[in-house]
Amino acid sequence: MFRSHVNKKLSAYLHGELGGEESNRVADHLLDCRRCREEYEEIRFGASLAAQLSREQAPVELWSELAAKIENRETARRRPLLAPTPLKIALAGAAMMLAIGIGAFWLYSRQPRPAWDVTRIEGQPRIGSKAVGDTGKLKVGEWLVTDDSSRAEIRVGEIGQVQIEPSSRVRLVEAKADEHRLALTRGKMQAFIWAPPRQFYVDTPSAVAVDLGCAYTLEVDENGQGLLNVIAGWVAFEWQGRESFVPAMAMCITRPQLGPGTPWFNDASDEFQNALAIFDVSQVGTDARLNALQTVLAKARKRDALTLWHLLARTEGDDRLLVYNRLAELIPPPPQVTPEAVMRGDRGALDLWWEKLELGSAEWWRIWKGPVPSQTK
Amino acid sequence: MTGAMLERHAAMNEQSSEERLIEACRHGDRDAFRQLFETHKDRVWSIALRFTGDDATARDITQQVFLKLFTTIGQFRRDAGFATWLYRLVVNACLDEQRRQRRFLSLDFFRAGDSRDEDDVEMEIEDLKQTGRPQEEMFSRIEISQAVNAAVAELKPKLRIAILLKYFEELSYEEIAEAMGCSMGTVASRLNRGHKELARKLAHLK
Repeated sequence: MFRSHVNKKLSAYLHGELGGEESNRVADHLLDCRRCREEYEEIRFGASLAAQLSREQAPVELWSELAAKIENRETARRRPLLAPTPLKIALAGAAMMLAIGIGAFWLYSRQPRPAWDVTRIEGQPRIGSKAVGDTGKLKVGEWLVTDDSSRAEIRVGEIGQVQIEPSSRVRLVEAKADEHRLALTRGKMQAFIWAPPRQFYVDTPSAVAVDLGCAYTLEVDENGQGLLNVIAGWVAFEWQGRESFVPAMAMCITRPQLGPGTPWFNDASDEFQNALAIFDVSQVGTDARLNALQTVLAKARKRDALTLWHLLARTEGDDRLLVYNRLAELIPPPPQVTPEAVMRGDRGALDLWWEKLELGSAEWWRIWKGPVPSQTK
Repeated sequence: MTGAMLERHAAMNEQSSEERLIEACRHGDRDAFRQLFETHKDRVWSIALRFTGDDATARDITQQVFLKLFTTIGQFRRDAGFATWLYRLVVNACLDEQRRQRRFLSLDFFRAGDSRDEDDVEMEIEDLKQTGRPQEEMFSRIEISQAVNAAVAELKPKLRIAILLKYFEELSYEEIAEAMGCSMGTVASRLNRGHKELARKLAHLK
């Protein structure tokens, strides 16, 4: 008989995974040890439950979706190999391409590229591989990188300035009169823009921050998640048709593959903020999402109508009705905004309700691209 | 032939047929890949669905697995079992998805002074799940199999995947260990914990 308990071997015993001798010893021990016997009964019950799992049939359209992906991939892979040629022709072609490439690069490098002024604030920021002195020029396509003890300021053409905080990496993407664009792949920046809306953009790994005349900070972590914190004015987050408006004193997270989350005012309770984060990342139809939504609604203040209004476009069916009812309690809709109109996502109705939130007119948004942020997946 | 011989013969036929399919796939035969897909799609889908509890994510995982299979089948070594290789792809895709989901929930980066760790976040989610939902009421409305699915979905990822491989695929401990890249002892331990958690979560069904 085993002197020591056999509880760690019970599943293996149940599944016949122990050798004959060891299996016999466990059986003997179970006869004499009530504690292990009770545990064995528990494991056997758990196993009987697990045994009820049954295989599911995969959706029939899975193959067509997969075949399309394979086709795309193969097309991309074959593209450079189209029209297979003998080795010598290929080498000659490659040499010609190289010569053309070198020529194009030479011409490109001799052309003056637009550049923005950079001022060192502290430490030793770098543009490409070169350390920035007191001032420098950031050309289109170049990277400005700060280590953990350096900061720099970028003059955004004639429309504003951006401070790059330590441990950041930012690239100048475009410097046209009507499009000023940076890419922030890591770290933190503070932007102060005095141009009309939609002239300054910041690309992050999971969304584009579109300036609507404002001051804000934008952080991107090593996983590509971004946090927008608006100090004055408005910023819109956009990604693949998903949009969020973020006013002063509000924040918004953007996540890889999910895009912009739902914005919230930064004085909302922790419980509200946590539930909103869970709602944003949970799959549609799950209990976690529904429970998170219920918490958000229960904890919402009048001021959180901003969040609830965005949730109207991020919910469907019964969930949208829950949001409608709570938002209507906090900010009663105008008479012409009926539950039916909201339930079918009527843009005009939502737009009218927005006006009642007293966050500013939706006129600018309507002019820009229509009244309502796009619905989410 | 005896029944046992017939079974062995059928298994050998099946194996050689799969080998031929794999060989054809290695040469880019799309029809052969389709056959391979049809043979294994339900097992990959079932594991992904029960692991994630969500159709859309399971669809993504299943496609990722087969896309990976398609692009790397040339690297498949015949000395390793094809099924084991496939299970490894599924396990990795599921656990990667889990890690990705956890990253989305990590707000620490944005909260100076917030010392919650991932377990705290999980507990918060758990609390939220329980809010206002008495278990009796919940289980009165759903079938036992759904209750089992839900309980499995709440297991920790590595326990969950061990349970799925054992009960969907009836793999031995050695095969599960190969698929999960761990020892047989670890598999035994994970299944032990998985069984106990299921028993405790669904004790009212006894």
